[in-house]
Amino acid sequence: MKEYKLLVIGAGAAGVTAAVAAARAGADRICLVDRDSCIGGVLNQCKHSGFGVGYYGEEMSGTEYAKRLDDMLTQAIDGGADIELRLGTMVTKITENRHAFLASQGCYEEVAFEKCLLASGCRETTLQSLCVAGTRPEGIYTAGEAQKMLNIYSRDVGDDIVILGTGDIGQIMARHYLDEGKNVIAMIEKSDAAGGMERNRRNIIEKYDIPVVLRSTIVEVFGDSHITAVKVRNLDSGEENIIECSTLITAMGLIPERDILDWDEKKQLPDWLTMCGNCDYVHDIVDSVSLQAERLGVTLAK
Amino acid sequence: MKKVIVVGAGLVGCFCARALSKYDIDITVLESNGDVCTGISKAGSGIVYVGYDSMPGTLKSRLCIDSCKDFAELCEILDVRYKKCGSLMVSYGKRADERLSKKLDHGRIGGIAGLRMIDREEATAMEPYLNPNISTALFSEETGTVNPWELCIAAYECAANNGVEFKFNESVCGIVREDEGFKVETNKDSYSADIVVNCAGIDSDKVRELCEKPQIRIVPTAADYLITDNSLSGYVNHIIFHEPEEKSKGLTIVPTVDGNLLIGATERQASAISTATAESGIGILKNLCSEIMPELPLNKIIRSYGCMRPNPYYVDEEGRLLEEKKSISELMLLEDNGLFSFIGVKTPGMTMAPELGRYLTEKVLGVLGDIRERSDFKPYRQGITRFKDLSDEERTSFVMKHPDYGKIICRCEQVSEGEIREAIRRGARTVEAVKRRTSAGMGRCQGSYCRQQIIKMLEEADERI
Ligand SMILES: Cc1cc2nc3c(=O)[nH]c(=O)nc-3n(C[C@H](O)[C@H](O)[C@H](O)COP(=O)(O)OP(=O)(O)OC[C@H]3O[C@@H](n4cnc5c(N)ncnc54)[C@H](O)[C@@H]3O)c2cc1C
Ligand SMILES: Cc1cc2nc3c(=O)[nH]c(=O)nc-3n(C[C@H](O)[C@H](O)[C@H](O)COP(=O)(O)OP(=O)(O)OC[C@H]3O[C@@H](n4cnc5c(N)ncnc54)[C@H](O)[C@@H]3O)c2cc1C
Repeated sequence: MKEYKLLVIGAGAAGVTAAVAAARAGADRICLVDRDSCIGGVLNQCKHSGFGVGYYGEEMSGTEYAKRLDDMLTQAIDGGADIELRLGTMVTKITENRHAFLASQGCYEEVAFEKCLLASGCRETTLQSLCVAGTRPEGIYTAGEAQKMLNIYSRDVGDDIVILGTGDIGQIMARHYLDEGKNVIAMIEKSDAAGGMERNRRNIIEKYDIPVVLRSTIVEVFGDSHITAVKVRNLDSGEENIIECSTLITAMGLIPERDILDWDEKKQLPDWLTMCGNCDYVHDIVDSVSLQAERLGVTLAK
Repeated sequence: MKKVIVVGAGLVGCFCARALSKYDIDITVLESNGDVCTGISKAGSGIVYVGYDSMPGTLKSRLCIDSCKDFAELCEILDVRYKKCGSLMVSYGKRADERLSKKLDHGRIGGIAGLRMIDREEATAMEPYLNPNISTALFSEETGTVNPWELCIAAYECAANNGVEFKFNESVCGIVREDEGFKVETNKDSYSADIVVNCAGIDSDKVRELCEKPQIRIVPTAADYLITDNSLSGYVNHIIFHEPEEKSKGLTIVPTVDGNLLIGATERQASAISTATAESGIGILKNLCSEIMPELPLNKIIRSYGCMRPNPYYVDEEGRLLEEKKSISELMLLEDNGLFSFIGVKTPGMTMAPELGRYLTEKVLGVLGDIRERSDFKPYRQGITRFKDLSDEERTSFVMKHPDYGKIICRCEQVSEGEIREAIRRGARTVEAVKRRTSAGMGRCQGSYCRQQIIKMLEEADERI
């Protein structure tokens, strides 16, 4: 059985930066695992600009940021860093006696480790989890899935779009669709102001004049095989409106992905486990992920 | 060779086809949808009932009891996951114990094994999160659960392996009596048959009336369900049946074979045939949950879904309801000279389905006369190996032999590329069909992570054809 000093689960901004920082600070036998076939995590689906100002001092797209991570990792490994990169590999389980099970094409393997850095990113809140009434048709996507459809699979989502949630991801998708000539009918937001970063609100909602329906949520979905409309309710007055649409994008926020931990949420994490990046808490910008990861990487090398 | 047409590929149609295929008969199943198990069967609670709910002595009660006895063995033969988790029936309020003893009496008369009253202490030890305001509970050791899709697909694959022909996207729109037998017309084709077996679920009355006068009509009602993610699997160990005080629907909680909790089911008026859920229904379920399992974290719900209940009523020849208030509770198999119609098979239809197949086959053989039993009937069927269900040792050797099984596509349910490819090889043509065969997309993220990858695999498969 292979034995690693440090197992890093997830090779997004958090995992890659932490692994390199740990190696630079003297750690060896590091294993960096990601189920994707390339490093970068969620950055790979972000073709828009707005990354890197805080960490690299220049603005770039998500994919360019991922390229920087790739260069940094390659350089470190070429320079002798003891990092074994295992792509296309999913960690399916970690146990209390510090073993991990890795699944990849043709291989299911048990490895041992001393420390583990969980950098598995986050998942999105789905419409289904809100128990919205009505049918369950096609044409409903989380913003992340919609972004993948756009930037990775080149698949169309439809033309008349309602977006639930006004966070950054929702706004970025809205801008993209408007630039493509699609119709963003409305963004629905439950609080009393649009969410997201100030710069996004200014450059997207305000600049494009997107109708935002505040203090409201979607309470019913219509359409048999494909979505045809949603029912929107004002949370204060109870007033309801039906909005016809061909697509519903949900951008309702992210939840740290810690599936792999069997531990009860109330129980303390074991001292050999550290969390980093979006898996620790949701970071608005990648730069803050990189900074946190760098710091934790150095600590883990001790 | 004699020819039998089965209308509808739900649980009843698939098990009828499988049972008939033991004999030297030419069988075709006509299904209006693109896959099996898309009607009522897809959305049931998946409970294998022991049979104390039905009136003792009725056909329904007999078939349910007989079917339940053989269920474990059947699931073994069909390679279907089956969990004999047992059930606990509880009731609150003044006449709670009386309601439970009545059920126990039904069970005793029917000779059902493993049934006994337990006290509060024992019940709450079994189910620590249960509202403890009970004096007794009815424990049934033999109650179990399966995934209804899995069961239906297994029956279908077994029948198909035995030569039954399944025609999808063919909706029966005409049944004409001929000198000998029938002509069955669909939107695409027409077929001659000696016998027609109508298992059209919610539309079984309409299908029968294609060539018969009205006798029973179905008035559908709707039901809502909630599902939690599989992190709550230790929360509820047995199926919980809550018997309500009034004549309303109680709550049922099922710890499924997939590790989720299924919470259901309401009953409400339905304006149209639709599987839409209602806000009111979802609200009722949440309220009942907080009464019966007060600590159940409702934020672990990953989706809701709805389905139709087919309630049969007697009508006159013009189709007017005869007894407006009461829906027929007995199982209805109508026989009209070679046309057999199961009209509105309700709970416990999934449990009974294997016995219904056998029962129907006897009747069909009675009409067709001397038919040989096939010596080459294959009762077995092999399911798709699930990465998730393998032990670590099994995974190691299995993945070595089948490399695609190491590539996880659905992260929540840990479904591998190998499983998805196998489902496609067996005929799955939509994301939904893949989901039913592999559980991919059934978890917390509801497919938002894996759907696009599965679509890609389906497209690749289409190109190859
Ligand atoms: C749509 C979107 C738009 C954004 N826009 C901006 C922006 O404009 N500017 C900005 O600065 N920031 C932006 N961000 C935020 C920033 O991109 C993220 O905070 C950051 O990239 C998160 O990095 P991470 O490493 O924590 O997670 P991720 O990038 O999600 O990486 C986690 C990795 O872990 C892997 N993984 C998970 N579980 C396992 C397992 N069991 N086994 C193996 N591998 C596993 C995953 O495959 C993934 O590669 C955006 C984020 C999103 C989602
Ligand atoms: C809410 C609910 C919960 C239940 N829970 C349980 C349970 O826990 N345990 C249990 O044992 N039972 C349960 N049942 C009962 C069980 O699910 C049903 O009895 C069973 O699924 C009925 O199957 P079916 O084949 O008759 O109907 P269906 O599954 O509806 O099949 C009928 C098929 O016929 C097709 N069809 C219709 N018209 C035509 C046409 N003209 N041409 C071609 N095809 C046609 C339809 O497309 C459909 O596929 C439950 C039922 C309900 C409603």
